[in-house]
Amino acid sequence: MNAPRVNVDPDHAARDLVSLVLTLVELLRQLMERQAIRRIDEGGLTEDQEEALGTALMMLDRTMTELCEHHGLSRSDLGLDLGPLGPLLADTEW
Amino acid sequence: MPGLPRTTPGRSADQPCSDVASALWVFAVCHAGAFAELPSGAGHPEGGPVTLLRLDDLLSAVVQDVPSSRFSEEVLKQRLADPGELESCARTHHRTVTAAAEHGPVVPLPLATLFNGEARARAALCARLPHFHAALTRVRGREEWAVKVSLRQTGTASAPSAPQDAPGGQAGAGRAYLTRVRGRERERVARHEQAVAAAARVHRAASALAVESVQRRPHSPQITGKDRLQLMNAAYLVDRGRALDLATVLQRAGADAASADVEVEVSGPWVPYSFTEPVEAPDDSPERAGSRT
Repeated sequence: MNAPRVNVDPDHAARDLVSLVLTLVELLRQLMERQAIRRIDEGGLTEDQEEALGTALMMLDRTMTELCEHHGLSRSDLGLDLGPLGPLLADTEW
Repeated sequence: MPGLPRTTPGRSADQPCSDVASALWVFAVCHAGAFAELPSGAGHPEGGPVTLLRLDDLLSAVVQDVPSSRFSEEVLKQRLADPGELESCARTHHRTVTAAAEHGPVVPLPLATLFNGEARARAALCARLPHFHAALTRVRGREEWAVKVSLRQTGTASAPSAPQDAPGGQAGAGRAYLTRVRGRERERVARHEQAVAAAARVHRAASALAVESVQRRPHSPQITGKDRLQLMNAAYLVDRGRALDLATVLQRAGADAASADVEVEVSGPWVPYSFTEPVEAPDDSPERAGSRT
């Protein structure tokens, strides 16, 4: 159960930073999705608004996948283990 | 390996090692006269026979002379930083503690509990005699069983990229996307709730048979693998005669849960590593951040 070593290789540092940033973006994206669902379930939006919101989220989702591919990461690479709090992205497939 | 004690290299920090040719590795504390010597094969290959060091009328320590060339503070610190060496040291420690436990109850000591000679060892261990007495009474005739409950992660993608996810612009595509997100979200929550409920059932069933239990922090996916989310990582102290009952009860609980992709993993019997730590010790280190029940 050895902890992963910190790799100070600059290439790794850049990649790790990208994956950290994308993890945070992914977290926000998921929160936005959940918030959107909540708003719709509360019935506060018109059909057009729902359609716009859904399209925007769908695009965001697609862009996330593209960004990950661009940086040689897969969606399942995103995620932080917050120790006692569990993984940051609890609902990803990781 | 579940249940292995924490590593505490540098136990001998306040004791200069340089001028001594050998050090004393202490594996455990047990009843005096439990055995004379463990068969060869126990203990570190570099050391002498594993014997008992008398502490008081009732208790002895399970000890081995080890060469300081391999076990001085400096050398050991380096060795234990190497995952392979750490594993082999931990396995040796565990194997020896387990061998000693065949002769009666034992209180395992943390990995790398080392002293400069018998006098120092006796002085340090005797200071904790009340704890050892209490711990031996606590675990006598009992074994530790580890129970882990995890949720198998199925291939539900984080992004609901359904086949009809054609390039945007299609009428209703946005709302369809939201519907998929909603469905996946509901399923995820339901699966998780089901699994947590199953873990609670397993815990209730095991607790009913156990004398004591400890909840430990579930292992991260780093250890369990990305396809599993560990929900419960518990240890139960069980009377030796009830092991079969425990197995039966857990098998039933596991079978009940199987429908929800829940996996119940039982291992044991272990030397009661989880039930011999002093209760008054600071309990906030991450390794023991579990609550005692």
